[in-house]
Amino acid sequence: MIDDAERKKNRYDFDRHTPEYREHFGEITAEMLGKCPVAWSETYGGHWVAAGHDEVFALARSSEYLSNDHDVNNERKGYKGITIPTPESEFQGGFLEMDPPEQRHYRQALNPYLSPAAVARWTPVVDELVRACLNERIETGAIDFVDDLANVVPAVLTLAMLGVPLKNWSLYCEAVHASVYTRHDSPEIAKVRQDQMTMFRDMFGQMTEIKASPRPGMIDALVRAQINGKTPPDLELLGVIALVIGGGFDTTTALTAHSLEWLSEHPAERARLSAERGTLLDSATEEFLRFYTPAPGDGRTIAADCVIAGTEFKEGERLWLSWAMSNRDPSVFPNPNEIDLARTGNRHHSFGLGIHRCIGSNVARMVFKRMLTEVLDRMPDFACDPAGAVHYETIGVIQGMQHLPASFTPGPRIGDGLDETIARLQVICDEQRLAEPVTVRKDSARISG
Amino acid sequence: MRVHVDPDRCQGHTLCAMIAPDLFQLDEIDGHSTVVIDGDLPADLEAKAAEAVRSCPEQAISVIAEEPRA
Repeated sequence: MIDDAERKKNRYDFDRHTPEYREHFGEITAEMLGKCPVAWSETYGGHWVAAGHDEVFALARSSEYLSNDHDVNNERKGYKGITIPTPESEFQGGFLEMDPPEQRHYRQALNPYLSPAAVARWTPVVDELVRACLNERIETGAIDFVDDLANVVPAVLTLAMLGVPLKNWSLYCEAVHASVYTRHDSPEIAKVRQDQMTMFRDMFGQMTEIKASPRPGMIDALVRAQINGKTPPDLELLGVIALVIGGGFDTTTALTAHSLEWLSEHPAERARLSAERGTLLDSATEEFLRFYTPAPGDGRTIAADCVIAGTEFKEGERLWLSWAMSNRDPSVFPNPNEIDLARTGNRHHSFGLGIHRCIGSNVARMVFKRMLTEVLDRMPDFACDPAGAVHYETIGVIQGMQHLPASFTPGPRIGDGLDETIARLQVICDEQRLAEPVTVRKDSARISG
Repeated sequence: MRVHVDPDRCQGHTLCAMIAPDLFQLDEIDGHSTVVIDGDLPADLEAKAAEAVRSCPEQAISVIAEEPRA
């Protein structure tokens, strides 16, 4: 047995919620990777921080010693889930804040909607949405890549997959994004909370409707799922739906905005990516994922005393797994702070690791690639305006962007605009029952006319 | 040489199938990977197999030399 001072001898004053952390991310990361790949920090009641690639790898895959449980009703061990510090309003964040077997049962219910084969069926729908979003701006020569594209497409698609009417997207979209980027002490927070309540009311209404009369989609799978032999309570199901929405909306937006900003700053690389997309698009996507790590990490609770990656942990201690910092570890990624569109051996942690691997990773990749290539084709000379770009002030929850205005040489519209497209896609979703799981419907969506 | 995916380690990250679609197939329901080629790894897929090994976030893939025959 060693004492606490010895166990916690590697110390780092770590606060990822400050603007300084975002500003000095490169230096802080290099320092932690070099000196203390696992460190104890006294911030937020005290917690461990894992930054090293090997250490994060070993920890994240040790699900027998780590718990994601957020025990909001204090029925088990009172663990606090994946957010550090614990949010004021305690609400279980779906199966990302559960352990097996419940976590596994939820994933089994949703996998047939989110597997690579399931997601590929939606590609024609995504292409229609992207085309329509770009149509809204193409003749003007000006776009905000966040507001006009990257916020819209993931939101509409996620609702379609859930089985929620597509036209409700704006009611969900701003509520989700604003809740991430608005500081809790800002005057705008009251409005954000109100929008969130409106969203939850709609979500609850959809769930009630679908319970009474089935319609295809992930909500249908959830309300009919047997989780550990039981039908889960409504509040738990709302947490799961909110997880799918939270995971589906802001992350892909963040990845797309940052990637487009970088490509605008590196026009030669943009031209290369566009010309060689057949060989470069996959590796470039993984590289943007690694470098910008939209979801920068996850919290855990140590569930049993253990020694992992050379550190002795005690039951009940909190741990932050930093995907963002481990993605910059030079022992795995040569020149980690540079973007190399053809990088090989890119085993990044941006979708997490182990049993909690991001269940929407296939959606994220597909939607990102379709948005990116369509922009490269229709707005090839886009130039982002650095003065108008608004990055999230802090990167503790999502490394995102609020606005990314750009100008480009105007071009012609192709087909209809966004509202008409969404109305048409709703009919297609309903008629073709697109939101069925891949076990029921194998074929890709068919868009005619 | 044989390629092997450890089903207990694979979590369906899909990078292997992106790198070497001729070598790996993904389950329709959960996206977990299995090796398509049953038997010796063709020489023209060796480089891609090695890249899949290096790229797997869970380190679930291995290339094993075949046991020499007795």
